[in-house]
Amino acid sequence: MVDVIKNTQMHCTYGCKTSKAVQPNVAGKMISKAKRPLLIVGSQVLKDEELLKRTIEIAKKADLPVAATGHSISGMVDSGVNAKYINVHSLATYLCDPNWKGLDGEGQYDTVIMLGHIKYYVNQVLSGLKSFSNLKTISIERFYIQNATMSFGNITPEVHVEALDELIENL
Amino acid sequence: MSELTTGSFSIDDLENVQITINNIVGAIEKEAESSDVEMGPTVKPGVSSLRDWDHNVLDRYNAVYTPMCDQCCYCTFGPCDLSGNKEGACGIDLAGHNAREFMLRVITGAAAHSGHGRHLLHHLIGLYGKDHPLDVGATNIIAPNVQLVTGVQPKTLGDLDDVLSYVEEQITQLLAAVHMGQEGAAIDFESKALHGGMIDHVGMEISDIAQISCLEFPKADEEPPLADIGMGCIDSSKPTLIVIGHNVAAITDIIDYMDEKGLNETMELGGLCCTALDMTRYKAEDRTAPQAKIVGTLAKELKTIRSGIPDVIVVDEQCIRADVLEEASRLMIPVITTNDKVMYGLKDRSNDDIEDIIEDLTTGKEKGALMFDYEKLGELAPRLTIMMSEIRKQKGIKALPEEGDLKAIADTCVHCGACEVACPDSLPISEAFTRLSEGDLTKFEWIHDKCIACGRCEYACPKDIDVVDVIEKCSQSLISEEVGKVRAGRGPISDPEIREEGVNLVLGTTPGIVALVGCSNYPDGTKDLYTIADEMLRRNYIVVVSGCSAMDLGMYKNEDGLTLYEQYPSRFRSGGLMNTGSCVSNSHITGAVIKVAAIFAQKNISGNYEEIADYTLNRVGAVGVAWGAYSQKAASIGTGCNRLGVPVILGPHGSKYRRALISKPYEEDKWNVFDARDGSEMKIPAAPDYLLTTAETVEEMMPMLAKSCIRPSDNNMGRMIKLTHYIELTQKYLGVMPDDWHKFVRTETDLPLAKREDLLKILEAEHGWEIDWKRKKILSGPAMKSDVSAQPTNLKRLCKEA
Ligand code: SF4
Ligand code: SF4
Ligand code: SF4
Repeated sequence: MVDVIKNTQMHCTYGCKTSKAVQPNVAGKMISKAKRPLLIVGSQVLKDEELLKRTIEIAKKADLPVAATGHSISGMVDSGVNAKYINVHSLATYLCDPNWKGLDGEGQYDTVIMLGHIKYYVNQVLSGLKSFSNLKTISIERFYIQNATMSFGNITPEVHVEALDELIENL
Repeated sequence: MSELTTGSFSIDDLENVQITINNIVGAIEKEAESSDVEMGPTVKPGVSSLRDWDHNVLDRYNAVYTPMCDQCCYCTFGPCDLSGNKEGACGIDLAGHNAREFMLRVITGAAAHSGHGRHLLHHLIGLYGKDHPLDVGATNIIAPNVQLVTGVQPKTLGDLDDVLSYVEEQITQLLAAVHMGQEGAAIDFESKALHGGMIDHVGMEISDIAQISCLEFPKADEEPPLADIGMGCIDSSKPTLIVIGHNVAAITDIIDYMDEKGLNETMELGGLCCTALDMTRYKAEDRTAPQAKIVGTLAKELKTIRSGIPDVIVVDEQCIRADVLEEASRLMIPVITTNDKVMYGLKDRSNDDIEDIIEDLTTGKEKGALMFDYEKLGELAPRLTIMMSEIRKQKGIKALPEEGDLKAIADTCVHCGACEVACPDSLPISEAFTRLSEGDLTKFEWIHDKCIACGRCEYACPKDIDVVDVIEKCSQSLISEEVGKVRAGRGPISDPEIREEGVNLVLGTTPGIVALVGCSNYPDGTKDLYTIADEMLRRNYIVVVSGCSAMDLGMYKNEDGLTLYEQYPSRFRSGGLMNTGSCVSNSHITGAVIKVAAIFAQKNISGNYEEIADYTLNRVGAVGVAWGAYSQKAASIGTGCNRLGVPVILGPHGSKYRRALISKPYEEDKWNVFDARDGSEMKIPAAPDYLLTTAETVEEMMPMLAKSCIRPSDNNMGRMIKLTHYIELTQKYLGVMPDDWHKFVRTETDLPLAKREDLLKILEAEHGWEIDWKRKKILSGPAMKSDVSAQPTNLKRLCKEA
């Protein structure tokens, strides 16, 4: 089992509330159990083929709808995942609104999973969700993201891929 | 007495008495009242005068908070834990506290610009007198922002003085609201932030038109000269004087002295940040190429100092690093400060003899000097530079590590990754060191373009490696080729240009204005800016730039070795690329928008803010981009654009401003305006769908730009052009069709001609619209009516029936 919760060092702190470090198998099980999950995929997945491959696998295996932020959608065209482009700042705004009907018109989400985002950007966007929504946010990035509900610690790209594989096994 | 204005008069019966009136309270208001210019309802608005307009706009564009910290540490009740939007001991909640902080950020920026303006104005009035006329080129509206906000049409430096007092009063009132235990509503802090942003543009305008009028800057010049830019454009074999900051006041004396003494070939004068841009505007009215060179942006400050190339550094104010003195003195580079906002703990030598100061600095007795006497500075700085060059050479001052030492340094890295956690852009430093150990410099070269030289990696490194020095050393050959061209700031847009282009903008046949402004905290290096400008210019958007963005844009060349400045005309027209100038020249961008309303649409602008903002929001397809925004000044500039109805997109770092203004397109009832012809309600498209937001990547931003230029008043040709760009840019950069394009279609003639038939099929098949295929006409489906003579407005009072 790969241990991803050792290094939770931060480049700067966001105050009182910090996310709980989570292991891949636990994260995998939580994603599977979520009632209305949404996988939010950032543009950084395009910089690493292995990462993009795992992203698509996660979406498919757990049958997760994907909110493709930045220009990540260009990596998912014809991949068979149910992905829609949306700006992440707008998305986070809608996620705080109980009246939003979701990307598919079926209603608000209960859990969002973050993968492939710029570290400081996602932390910032999640700070809005942490303060102004009741959403559960699971970060499976390769950095410790303080503003998520749960997050991996700081890990190397290699360990990240291993961790994602383990998460996929547990979906 | 009330008849008196500024000036002097003599009293006949008393001999030898002269009374000088410097200012009469209310004089300017009197003058405004007595002029025959029609005045709008908000002449010199106070903090709450435009509140209704703000609340109206904020109802559609909601404030979105992403706090950097969920505590408040403002007072001795606290620190209070506000997480989960809890209230603190004083009763403020996290949203309110964040709004308060955002407002503070905005007025800090506004104070930086108007403080700069105040200093400059004092200086210029001292030199030229209060009656010195303002001259900014071919325009009847010398100061559109000033006139719009205050109703004043300034004609002299002295007139600006009065307006600046108003600016200062507003900033003080806003700052007072930050005090704990009063304002509690986030939305009213937002309104105050918008007020601060508006005031900022007035302050910026005052600064720039004062210097344009006095310092022989280009005046609405359509062909300002080209200046050299880049770390590679300095001939480091010559004595080198580097100036850093935003306030060119002191530097003009240096330039004059160098001219007088024929030193332009003997030594190099280079600048970083906006003073550099303004040095190239100084005496550029005659279009001779400037002698002064632009080294680059804030991101090059630490790198330039660490290179050891400067022999003397002069700083003025604003975007200068706080550690300039410390960094420079390590390399025996004396630092001269010239402004009371930045003194670095140095001794005030303004009244000392130049020879004594030179003695103290050349011997290293003092690390630098504070100098308020600019004439003295003019002589001191060049002379000192020439002497220090020799002394530093003799001492063999060593700056960057030797090439031979690089491997040894690389080998000390233990690959702990602390630097990467600290790096704002998570640059792969550890991997670059692994490669460097193997003798491969290319990864550090790659990092060089992305690195903003903040130095955080060095502070984090447990092995005390000077990472910035290593990046720079590895990139030496790259840096020597960093040479480009940038147009000296042209100043305002002229009236004839507006007259000609206004109609295209308002009808939408020129797809929009894209203003690239802001600093150098780019997410993925400087080239992004070039990519944006290149794409939008090819598509015939008007591109306006200023400040650090204007500089970085000049760093890239096409296959023929030409920069964009050399390829596109500096004219306000479709496919024109204009550098307005330094940071304070951003006021000419909002100024141009105001002029479109005044000159093209014949609107009264004096004290008529709401109506002009409403006009802009509904009719002028302009969008601001601050891709590398980093400072409070960028927050105030952007917020001023927002209040005027211009949306702004920031790069991902811009999320750290902690507040955005984003609408919810699915809230259908929010997307209505009145038709001013009869007061009836009109449905409008959800574009722009934000007033301030962030984009993750340039690829994402491209289609956002096109969509942000769509306005309710577009005619069919205009809508077709804008939709074509929106669809094409989405396909090109995201690889898909936008999923909301159909929401902007009112009638078949709105559809891009080349794709019309295919799009009609999609409308029928996927959205259930009825199409008459014989005539290729849409029979039903669109949510909006097509009526190009409608007059969309958000202001009920402007409607005929109202
Ligand atoms: S200002 Fe209010 S929230 Fe902030 S520390 Fe004081 S009591 Fe707490
Ligand atoms: S100096 Fe450059 S590499 Fe170092 S932390 Fe700052 S941006 Fe990153
Ligand atoms: S912090 Fe220093 S030792 Fe650690 S990886 Fe970075 S450069 Fe190497």
